[in-house]
Amino acid sequence: MNDLIKQEMMPAIWCQGCPLGIILAQFANVLAELGLSKDNAVIVSGIGCTGRFAGYMNMDSVHTTHGRAIPVAEGIKTANPALNVIVVSGDGDLLGIGGNHMLHSSRRDIDITVICINNELYGLTGGQLAPTSQIGAVTLTSPQGSAVEPINIQGLSTLNKKHFYARTTPAHVQHMKKCMSEAISWKGFSFVEIRTKCITRSKSPLFKTGCDLLNWLKTEYKITDENRKLKDNEMGIIKSG
Amino acid sequence: MPKKLVDGNEAIVQGALRAGLGFYAGYPITPASEIMQGLSKSGIAFVNAEDEIASVSMVIGASLAGKKSMTATSGPGFSLMQEGIGLAHMMRVPVVIVNSQRVGPSTGMPTLAAQGDILQAYHGSHGDFVSIAFYPNSVEECYKYTIEAFNAAEEAKCPVYLLTDGMLSHLFESVDLDAVKISLKQRDLKPLGHGSRHFTGLLSKEGIPKTKDSIYYRQWYKSYKDELSNAADNYKFYEYIENNNSDTLVISYGILSRAVFEFKGEFALFRPIRIFPLLEEIKEISQKYKTIIVVEMNDSQYALLLEAFLKREIKKVPVLGGLVAIDELRKGLLNE
Ligand SMILES: Cc1ncc(C[n+]2csc(CCOP(=O)(O)OP(=O)(O)O)c2C)c(N)n1
Repeated sequence: MNDLIKQEMMPAIWCQGCPLGIILAQFANVLAELGLSKDNAVIVSGIGCTGRFAGYMNMDSVHTTHGRAIPVAEGIKTANPALNVIVVSGDGDLLGIGGNHMLHSSRRDIDITVICINNELYGLTGGQLAPTSQIGAVTLTSPQGSAVEPINIQGLSTLNKKHFYARTTPAHVQHMKKCMSEAISWKGFSFVEIRTKCITRSKSPLFKTGCDLLNWLKTEYKITDENRKLKDNEMGIIKSG
Repeated sequence: MPKKLVDGNEAIVQGALRAGLGFYAGYPITPASEIMQGLSKSGIAFVNAEDEIASVSMVIGASLAGKKSMTATSGPGFSLMQEGIGLAHMMRVPVVIVNSQRVGPSTGMPTLAAQGDILQAYHGSHGDFVSIAFYPNSVEECYKYTIEAFNAAEEAKCPVYLLTDGMLSHLFESVDLDAVKISLKQRDLKPLGHGSRHFTGLLSKEGIPKTKDSIYYRQWYKSYKDELSNAADNYKFYEYIENNNSDTLVISYGILSRAVFEFKGEFALFRPIRIFPLLEEIKEISQKYKTIIVVEMNDSQYALLLEAFLKREIKKVPVLGGLVAIDELRKGLLNE
């Protein structure tokens, strides 16, 4: 672990086997590689399991209300454009309750990076249906399986003429680092979706260990280097502008 | 400088700039929009936000980043901001929020004035705290108390409200704002990008969440409450006109007090300007009078609080929002 993580706060509160730990460690490595530190960067999170992310970083950080990480980040960036402002939060936080802010901050092309940890449900509150849940997903509030399509994050993130969208997983560490690094270096609004599953609440599939989860992600997702619309099981970077 | 014709909203714009405003985010709403319009021309960092939830979140972020920050709205937008106001209290972020009240609920009579958000300003958010709030009654006071609101926000490190209403916001008066001299409180909160502080909406101690520590919560709450009320003590603004010929004290505030003060021959008059936290001074002053009447443009919201605060019955004259005729006031006050 590098010194961009608050060692004294370890172990993190996350469940055993939850990939958030891997993401945190690699995120800190990416920041170090880019020369970001407490002198020039601020991390902002919303509420949820992922919302705890900001508090583990060894730099000024803000843990906002549910869904409001993006507008708080936009306020910070607009007030002090010299700061590198990075949002790390959950899918429910960013695309459910906070969806409107995602639409408008991306349209205004605010120079921030948003990293969305998409575990396809509301983790912290116990595993309810999220806008990202797949058709058929059984959750605490969709016992018969979700009847509707999940929100199209790729579509939303590429709505504007100028855009940066990347999809990756914590099982593909080099790719995940590349996505985070390019997104943070991108001038303007950039969005990274990190696809994962909730080790504790996921019903389909069920995972026994973190290793099972990573292996599942590894076989499920394939990398493409092409700058084009990604298929359901593809990872890659789409950028324009 | 010569006097100029200025309205309440413009005076708020000028007061905010005088106080050192560095960031504004907002969403248009009658009767507050001119504040946003005025500030869009001022050259400060400015965002046309997607809604009032974003506006309040942005001003919180900008304030943490080191800029004195403000947003302005009316009742419906103020309701949307209540979530963010709770966050600003928990994280101790100085921000100024203007609420120019109109007749509600909902869209109600949006172009007419009311004072229907008094209880919303008192306890509108979740959790347990009272924000400092000022309610001017003239254009010059809009300027003055906007500056004081910024000072109080810096001193108490919390959100501070400036309440106005559709009539005061749009009232033109001839004023020389440059002649108003108020010293400014500077920031002592270091801006983001200078350490490894963690600002969080969770109960926390030195950035470390304390989400199961009820004893610490009680300590934290008490010390916050004390700090807030000590800071508020430096802003004890009110107007009191004694009347030895009357055993009745009439309390009113904001724009309505301009009409109520016409009755100074008949009654003693009191007008809170720092409307929250409730002024201790009212306790002492009210003891001299047999009857206390509260007149307000709502259904007795402030009277309800004062009754509990003073532990005595108050005669209520709830004139509600909209246009108010002086005869209606006379009828209410004199029992005619
Ligand atoms: C206004 C508001 N509504 C609801 C909640 C309860 N809540 C806390 S976290 C959360 C969901 C978090 O899900 P997600 O953003 O996907 O993050 P995860 O926990 O899965 O990492 C909810 C609904 C809240 N804190 N605030």
